[in-house]
Amino acid sequence: MEPFAHWIALGAIGWLGVLSMAAGAWLNNPPLMASGGIGASYALIEIANRFAAAPAGRRRVRAAPAPPVAAAHRSIDPSDSGALVEQMLSQDRYALLLRPQVVETLTHDQFLRAKQALEQAMALVGEARVTLEAAGLSQGGVIHVEPFYLDRFTVTNRQFYEFVAAEAYRQPALWETSIWPAVAEMIDSTGAAGPRWWREGCFEPGQDSLPVVGICWHEAAAYARWAGKRLPSDAEWVRAAAYPDNSPGNRPRPYPWGDAMEAGRANLWGSGLGRVAAVDQFSEGATPNGICQLIGNVWQWTSGNFRGTGLEAEDDRSAPWSLPSPWKNIRGGAFDTYFDSQATCQFVSGEDPRRRRRNIGFRCAIGVCDLVPEVCT
Amino acid sequence: MNNASVLPLRSSQLASYTQSVPCYLCQTVNTFDVEFCTCCSAPMALAHQAKGRKVSPQMVAVVGASAVGKTVYLGMLIDMLTRQQRPLHLLTRGAFSLALQQTTVAALARCEFPPKTPTDPERWNWVHGQIRQARKRQPTELILCDMAGDALMTEVDHPHSYRVIRQFLQRSAAAIVLIDAMEISEGSRRQDFFAMKLLSYLSELETDVPGWSQRPVALVLTKADQCEECLANAAGFARTHAVGLWQHCRERFCRHQFFAASVAGACAWRESATEGRRQVPLRIEPRGIIEPLEWLLAQRLGARG
Repeated sequence: MEPFAHWIALGAIGWLGVLSMAAGAWLNNPPLMASGGIGASYALIEIANRFAAAPAGRRRVRAAPAPPVAAAHRSIDPSDSGALVEQMLSQDRYALLLRPQVVETLTHDQFLRAKQALEQAMALVGEARVTLEAAGLSQGGVIHVEPFYLDRFTVTNRQFYEFVAAEAYRQPALWETSIWPAVAEMIDSTGAAGPRWWREGCFEPGQDSLPVVGICWHEAAAYARWAGKRLPSDAEWVRAAAYPDNSPGNRPRPYPWGDAMEAGRANLWGSGLGRVAAVDQFSEGATPNGICQLIGNVWQWTSGNFRGTGLEAEDDRSAPWSLPSPWKNIRGGAFDTYFDSQATCQFVSGEDPRRRRRNIGFRCAIGVCDLVPEVCT
Repeated sequence: MNNASVLPLRSSQLASYTQSVPCYLCQTVNTFDVEFCTCCSAPMALAHQAKGRKVSPQMVAVVGASAVGKTVYLGMLIDMLTRQQRPLHLLTRGAFSLALQQTTVAALARCEFPPKTPTDPERWNWVHGQIRQARKRQPTELILCDMAGDALMTEVDHPHSYRVIRQFLQRSAAAIVLIDAMEISEGSRRQDFFAMKLLSYLSELETDVPGWSQRPVALVLTKADQCEECLANAAGFARTHAVGLWQHCRERFCRHQFFAASVAGACAWRESATEGRRQVPLRIEPRGIIEPLEWLLAQRLGARG
């Protein structure tokens, strides 16, 4: 930035020049006029040049916020298993560490930390027989669900950023082979790999705790695979949402908290917010075992194929759908879901697995049988 | 000797027949108990409700081709305005004003679209309501009508076929023209041509001052959930995919704006044994429904309703 004294000097020269020109004109003194004109012109030219100079030297430039530092960005020695475990814990990939094939390589302390991370981030959902009301089920709609863990919160921008920073979009093993050509089209608004509305591979500042949206079903499945988990099945999702108690004969509830929609328990159209909220808001709508926002905020991808919403008349339930390819189920409703009846535990909607919507996110699950038995003790 | 006679009560009603009620649309004189105007088939309830009010309700025409989504759009608009308090809130007047909202909401909640609007004007749903705006002290009285697209097309192609449509459009203070964004994005010119024909019809209507060239017209691209390009920039989408319509609006209407709207979050086709192939909304996520009316209300609705 130019020193203030320079501006004072230029201003003084300019005014003296103008006064000299005026005096010369009044006294009929051409040399005085000419020198005054030269001085004024010099001052004007210098001022103009400084305004046209590089903006960094004169204007205040607001620095772009630095992207968050991902665990994948920290350089570690590949032979240092301890550092690798730390990195995976930072990336919320504790589920991989608790697999029987991996856990034997952990120290006791590392195992405890991974177990603690699992218990903090996921809730245990016990086995049960679950009734699904969606159409087209050959089992008559009752499915036995084995015990499993479900994420307490939908996957956040911050968590998904770790996935992006680890260049997971370039790891073919995480993606179905049929979808490989399409992975290159899963880009953000600047052309970098990432969710649809991100910029340069990162989310907007201040949105760390918002659920990640603008991701298709395949991206959700790839993230789950990368984290050592999977997408929940529809029966698992309904078990977690509609059957809060494990007592036998317990009837399913329309909502995790009871039989009626209550203001403040879920982020739907009626709540008036009109946008996604942080994953830990609307905590009054959580299940008794601490799973938040199963209803409202963002729809959640599940692993099931769409067969119907469950609202069809009995004789219409077998009517085939005319879809170009199998659609995937989404459950739970979102911030813009207009009808409370379309945000119940049993209601299911469908979406093209390649669509990247502003109101669809996901959460992950893992079966108890996929983890070492010591996790549950 | 006087024979006292008791006149039957009906005579008082007979006396009422001497009282005439002009239709609110075409001003044709009707008897007080007629349900629909004998001339234009507009509901006489509008005249009864408007009678005695200090401010005459203004009419806003919601028009578009068949199957563009007029019933769904209008039904959702009414329901959303009655549910919310700010920035606009609607208070319906008369039981007849609730029929459209009830039919539409009931169908959408079941993940169905409401049935096609019949072409008989006596079966159309009318809405008379009072809109309260957050920053305005005086509420605005509005009349809206869910007209059949086929009837609109017939009137445009053969003027005076539907007197009620002609009268309504002549007296409307503003218009919301619905255009199917999906059809336009697929390259079909049907929506483009119909909208241009409709707008030409409007601009050539004999009306009170100001004419349609001065009245605000909101052009709403519907079904935008299936065509997200138009949600980002409705005017740009229209300029790219409906050039004729875009140019037509620029030349004929000095107050117009493009909007994008959607009601369903996603739709799919289903083969039903009883109803054949039909489109089904998989969930309801309204977007851009209220903004066109907000814009219209922000304009000076100068024409008398």
